[in-house]
Amino acid sequence: MYKLIEFLRRIFVPLLFIVLEVCAVVYYARSSVYTQAKLLTRSNQAVGAVHGALTGVRRYFSLGGENRLLLERIATLEEELFRYRRMTADSLREVQLAGVEAKPYELSVARVISNSINKSRNYLVLDRGLRDGVEEGMGVLSPEGAMVGRVVASSERYAVAMSILNTSFKASGKIAGDDYFGSIYWTGDDRYRVRMRELSKYARIGEGDEVVSSGFSQYFPADIPIGFVESFSLAADQMSYDVEIRLAVNVSQLTDVVLIRNRDLDEIRQLELQARSMKN
Amino acid sequence: MYRAYPYILLFAALALLQVFLFDNLSISVYLSPLVYVAFVVLLPIDLRPSVVLLSALALGIAMDWTMGGAGINTIATLPLAVLRRPLLRSICGEENIREGGIPSPERLGRGSFLRYLVAMVAVHHLLFFVVEALSWSRLPYTLGRWLLSGAVSVGFIWLIARIFTAKRIAKL
Repeated sequence: MYKLIEFLRRIFVPLLFIVLEVCAVVYYARSSVYTQAKLLTRSNQAVGAVHGALTGVRRYFSLGGENRLLLERIATLEEELFRYRRMTADSLREVQLAGVEAKPYELSVARVISNSINKSRNYLVLDRGLRDGVEEGMGVLSPEGAMVGRVVASSERYAVAMSILNTSFKASGKIAGDDYFGSIYWTGDDRYRVRMRELSKYARIGEGDEVVSSGFSQYFPADIPIGFVESFSLAADQMSYDVEIRLAVNVSQLTDVVLIRNRDLDEIRQLELQARSMKN
Repeated sequence: MYRAYPYILLFAALALLQVFLFDNLSISVYLSPLVYVAFVVLLPIDLRPSVVLLSALALGIAMDWTMGGAGINTIATLPLAVLRRPLLRSICGEENIREGGIPSPERLGRGSFLRYLVAMVAVHHLLFFVVEALSWSRLPYTLGRWLLSGAVSVGFIWLIARIFTAKRIAKL
């Protein structure tokens, strides 16, 4: 009996280590980007305020750059306003306004309080949450309108968005002005570049061409800028292109983002659920 | 007998440094230092193995929660608790570690402490980055992250060890 107790005492720590390690491995294996995003959302309920304060300090030093961007944006909007004022036909103006009303997307803004680029799965923590109408499924754009990611979890005060620099992020993209589309993904080794695969070999493509969203995604409307073609080559199957894209956004420099909500998202999801249940 | 307060402070300071500073480094995708591992590195040599293991577990869970790691920090940190003693024994010799003490350049000697630190960081970072990538095709990228992040972590942990074992802190 004494020998048994002594034996158990001797193997207690290695045994406990194996049990704990197996539990951790199983938990990690069962986790997904959503598990990680939910953990981040919960921890930000505790540390989000500190992140916010630190972001405030960082923002102070980038105010000059933000002012310049705002001025550029104002100049662009002034130009559009000038063109709009020149439209003399009221009917044309009404058609334009009706078009705005009918758009199924709704925009809002948020501040980035935490942003990583040095992991395989990178996330942005935003200072807007459920109480501000920010919920899972909203697209995230840079202030210039380029694709940044999408919201995957939100608490009352904060939201976590999966960055375009996340190996689990997928989006549908195409060359601007063309109809063939491909799948956008991040390889994890370059914060300035993503790749597009399965772009038909019949697509009209050239270096420097703009790559935009195809509009097939539930989260982003069509023609949201993603980046510019840096290089391309035929894939091994000789049927499609592999394209290297330089991102239109510098994710590491983001301080503010624009959130875009697809008003029809719930309806689309319900339809998908119905379709799936009919299949089963 | 070692006082718990300096280690509670060290735990909190490392967690804050990791979450608010090192996790937000935007210099390179290859640079992701994980300095929180300093807590396990600096635990007293003669601390009971079960306490070391539970301390490593607490650290792993805390970092998983704050970094959204879903278990990966725990996976990488727990083996250090088991490997610590054999590593110290093989680097410094049994007779040098029998008396206990806090692992530091002063206690173990600069060369021995550096070898111990590099071994601990190498094991932890290799586990972390391999489990995070889980892909042979990304092996060069994973090795790049391991080498660069590991080197930076070793540098920072060396500094943290010097600060932690400075006389003023040790008297707390």
